[in-house]
Amino acid sequence: MNTPDFSSQFDEAIDSALGWLADHGEFIFDAANAVLTGVYKAVLWCVAFPPFYVIAALFALLGWRAVGTRFAIVSGLALLFCALIGLWPETVSTLALVLTATILALVVAIPLGVVAGLAPAFDRVVDPCLDLVQTMPPYIYLLPAIALLGYGPATALLATFIVALAPALRLTSLGIRMTPKHFIELGDASGVTGLQMFFKIRLPFAMPSIMAGVNQSLMMAFGMVVIAGIVGSGGLGESIYGAVRTLDIAKSINAAIAIVILTMILDRLAQSAVRSRTGEAQ
Amino acid sequence: MIADFRFSPGEFLAPAVDWLNANLHGLFVLISQVVEAVLGVVERALLAPHPYVLIGIVFVAAFIFATKRVAVFAALMLAFCLFSGLWVASMQTIALVSVAVLISVAIAFPLGVLAARVKRVDDAFLPILNIMQTVPPWVYLIPAVILFSLGRVPAIIATIVYGIPPMLRLTTLAFKQLPKDLLELGQASGASPRDILFKIELPTAAPTLLVGLNQCILMSLAMVVLAGLVGAGGLGAEVTRGLSRMEMGLGLRAGLAIVAIALLLDRLSRGALQRHSPSKMV
Repeated sequence: MNTPDFSSQFDEAIDSALGWLADHGEFIFDAANAVLTGVYKAVLWCVAFPPFYVIAALFALLGWRAVGTRFAIVSGLALLFCALIGLWPETVSTLALVLTATILALVVAIPLGVVAGLAPAFDRVVDPCLDLVQTMPPYIYLLPAIALLGYGPATALLATFIVALAPALRLTSLGIRMTPKHFIELGDASGVTGLQMFFKIRLPFAMPSIMAGVNQSLMMAFGMVVIAGIVGSGGLGESIYGAVRTLDIAKSINAAIAIVILTMILDRLAQSAVRSRTGEAQ
Repeated sequence: MIADFRFSPGEFLAPAVDWLNANLHGLFVLISQVVEAVLGVVERALLAPHPYVLIGIVFVAAFIFATKRVAVFAALMLAFCLFSGLWVASMQTIALVSVAVLISVAIAFPLGVLAARVKRVDDAFLPILNIMQTVPPWVYLIPAVILFSLGRVPAIIATIVYGIPPMLRLTTLAFKQLPKDLLELGQASGASPRDILFKIELPTAAPTLLVGLNQCILMSLAMVVLAGLVGAGGLGAEVTRGLSRMEMGLGLRAGLAIVAIALLLDRLSRGALQRHSPSKMV
């Protein structure tokens, strides 16, 4: 095709830019890598240290408190099943990745969402960015992450963090903005301080929306963590990737079952949190 | 030790899959050939005209069916794909997405209408759709790869299955939300059921249907890109190549081209939606 050849120039520019970044900003990325890997290792230690039946029992207990007896029994048994098919270490490291990335994303997204909800000017800047982030296929986020951090769990965490950020931020700002007007006027009329207005009036009203955002973030994070198996994040994603590449049918079916089990359990738990919050608000 | 006891459902399922592959080989080959043929036609149609001609056609079509802004935007995005040196891969991706979306819609639309009319069907679909939308996209690729091996065919089949839930859900919603008075008006004026469907129900439901189509397109694109991992070709394969060979320039170019295509498809379908919204008021 006789189109101007921008691509090779572009590739060279990118390569030299990355080379420059690697030379001059290495300590930043190394530090980021070390911090992310450290946090991940800490979370992983927490869930991998107890034997599998303890974790399964904990999840069953949580499920019993949050959803109901039947769900508790099913989720406990399902997790035992993950151990039984010999994928417990992978299941645990997937769980650790998802939890770490979601928590990091929430720590950033909820305050930003609150700011966006209170300051329309900030919201106008953030909204198109979020649109863009949510339009792109998640697979792409692995590229900058891998270019800057190299193979390993830190890359998976960074990409998952970006993907999980958007829904939580968006739904938090939506929730803050949706506070009914007459309650704000009521607060003004009774002379509450700014802090009281926020914590006693706006936040309770925003809670259902924020929890819905948490649920969505968790599910997005899960989808991404599984994809991130290809950059050596470890966990179920990597075992599926390996199994698909080698057409190892038995192993890929096992890993897929484990992923579905873990997704279902996390989704139901997060949804029940949404529902209980909605109930409280009403 | 309990941990030493292993059970692998995959080991039991693998022979079943082998049996399927051995005995229904003809069927799978037939499906593969049909899919390959259709894809080939679409791809050749996209690649046959000179890129500039195709950009012109898209510009004019977008100008007629959507707005001027959308048309300019679409032309810019396609030009970006051309100048990033990934025209062929971009067209392959668009061919994959459009064929997958067409088939998804052809399956989801009638089922959605049925679910909107028959409550029992709706109740039966709901849990299935919930599960389908929770499971990470990776998992869809596994059965497709097991049955159809690597290549474009498993990619498109996984994409079709992945694209069905949003379309089905929003079709059901669209037909359930129809204002009763319009339907009664139709019945009162003695319109035949066919006239009611095409002259009253479809135009009124169009905005929601187009939202469903938009979601279906974006999810299909995400899946097609991911399917680059199983040898689907197109931009996904370029991203995968960039990731695995650490050729960041190539990976980033492909990533940006994917963004361009995502924005192109998103704006085109949304442009059609905006065009359609005012007609609702009539």
